[in-house]
Amino acid sequence: MFELKQVTKVYPLDGVASVTAVREVSLSVERGEFMVITGRSGSGKTTVLNLMAGLTRPTAGRVEVDGADLWSMTDREQSAMRNWRIGFVFQFPSLLPSLTALENVLLPLMFKGGVERGEGAEQAMKLLEMVGLADKVAALPRQLSAGQQQRVVIARSLINEPEVLVADEPTSNLDEETEREIMATFEKAHSQRGVTVVMVTHTQYVGTRGTRRVEMAEGRVVKETRG
Amino acid sequence: MTGMKVSHLIYRNLTRNGFRSGVVFGCALLLAALPFGVTFITEGGRASLQAVLGRLGADLLVVPEGAEVKVETALLMGKPAPVWMPAENLNKLANMPGVVQASPQLHLATLAGASCCSASEMFMVAFDPATDFTLRPWLVKHWGGELGVGEVVGGSQVFLPNEKANILVYGSPVRLKGNLAASGTGLDQTLFMTFATAHELARMSKTRAERELVVPTNQISAILVKLQPGVAPKSMVARIQREVPGVSALQSPEMFRGTRRELSGLLRIIFAVLALVWVLSMAVTGLVFSLAAHERRRELGVLRAMGARRSLVFRLLVAEAGVLAATGAASGIGLCLVIVFWFREAIVYLLETPFLSPPPAVLAGLVGGGLLVALCSVVLAALVPAWRISRMEPAQAMRE
Repeated sequence: MFELKQVTKVYPLDGVASVTAVREVSLSVERGEFMVITGRSGSGKTTVLNLMAGLTRPTAGRVEVDGADLWSMTDREQSAMRNWRIGFVFQFPSLLPSLTALENVLLPLMFKGGVERGEGAEQAMKLLEMVGLADKVAALPRQLSAGQQQRVVIARSLINEPEVLVADEPTSNLDEETEREIMATFEKAHSQRGVTVVMVTHTQYVGTRGTRRVEMAEGRVVKETRG
Repeated sequence: MTGMKVSHLIYRNLTRNGFRSGVVFGCALLLAALPFGVTFITEGGRASLQAVLGRLGADLLVVPEGAEVKVETALLMGKPAPVWMPAENLNKLANMPGVVQASPQLHLATLAGASCCSASEMFMVAFDPATDFTLRPWLVKHWGGELGVGEVVGGSQVFLPNEKANILVYGSPVRLKGNLAASGTGLDQTLFMTFATAHELARMSKTRAERELVVPTNQISAILVKLQPGVAPKSMVARIQREVPGVSALQSPEMFRGTRRELSGLLRIIFAVLALVWVLSMAVTGLVFSLAAHERRRELGVLRAMGARRSLVFRLLVAEAGVLAATGAASGIGLCLVIVFWFREAIVYLLETPFLSPPPAVLAGLVGGGLLVALCSVVLAALVPAWRISRMEPAQAMRE
């Protein structure tokens, strides 16, 4: 469903120097799989994730979504694709600080449109219940722990019933116990809802999870294992 | 809770950061209040001058030579300045070809801080009912009659003293028959009476007042002149100056030139200050929006990642600016209106400029103009940061 074809990404550092984050990477994500991308810091794993989700434009190569060139799409088409098909979980706290947990979960629906009044709230409540935060709907992000915030983010990423969950080191700032809880939530979404998961991690525990593991080094895919 | 609206997001964003919103709100308030306040006061001055000119209803006002400013100040600010010239000037003017009517006036004043006068240093204008063509027609129209001896008409701000039936002038009670419409000038605090009343007050003051009211024999203060249609006021002014020594003739449209010049000068200075304030406010607003957009880069990047289009992010930021600009500007203009109406007297006294609220259409234009200036300025300041952040790739925006 998502495919990188000979993709290179170069970040300009200043007017002269630049850094190549990803070098001629070809990688495809199949429907229903749980892909875990591992690698050391600076290996290019986050950039691969961003390229796949259309969050950054490749310097060279092609990114395809169901065979269509992602960067031939208009901003409207790309935004709709991200909104409808992808759920995002980031490493950093990504909840809007001024909105409650419930409002944060509802946020992606605002960009979707055509949602019946009340329908969104019902879905959001179910998701918050699924992540164990039914009693925190009115809490602001600052009133939640880091683990609880990340669980709200997972609920938010699922509100539009996406085909793919894209997660960039979702457990890196959490303690071991919370990390396992969060991973269990992802695995639940994968197994029960059939959501495809692409996750970047550098933690050992998460690196052993998933149905497919991709290891990166110096901007290249150096190893792939399945099962 | 139902599906969320962008307006809700805007509201939450604005209330989340009180300081940031407050700074932009304050800038918008200044951007609207200053130009509105200045133009409101100067337009009020103009409206007031127009009202006085309309009230005079004469083509020319003839006063003793050198007393032009004193008479203008008396009419505009209500500062009484009795000036005198020979009454024979009236006949000279009345007999000039081209003059339809000439009517004399006496400019008098009540005593300062004396118990024999209800109001201290109040400007009093006495007119000759036989020749008057400015006040008398108005009296006839509104009351169908004349002012009798001991009766007066007051400006809009002349009232009867508490629990008194009459106004005490030089120890004699006078009956307030009515009030004229507001002009925003000294005429609003002026008493109008006939020559007969003035002479009676002068006669009685010898025994009743702390000091005598002196109306010099065969002397008058001013002459209002009405010209025949087709006679050029300018040429008549020249002729009067030539043929009647010791007087100065003021053409109605040319009157209060000094005040108008002062108004224009004041306007120029304040507009220069305004330009500086505008530039500073724009710079502060632009800086605040740039900092805010930078601070919210990651948050806006997350919105983009979740499916917000570039245009939505752009509109979100501009709408936030617009809301702050509109509320700030409306508050600034409201504040200005309250201040001007509450401290009207102090403003008139400090600026030495008459003030009458401009006509509703002009006022609406000023309010609209003030709102527009603030709205355009703040939104303009927000455009560049909003545009830049909305054009960023989501990944770039989210990167620290």
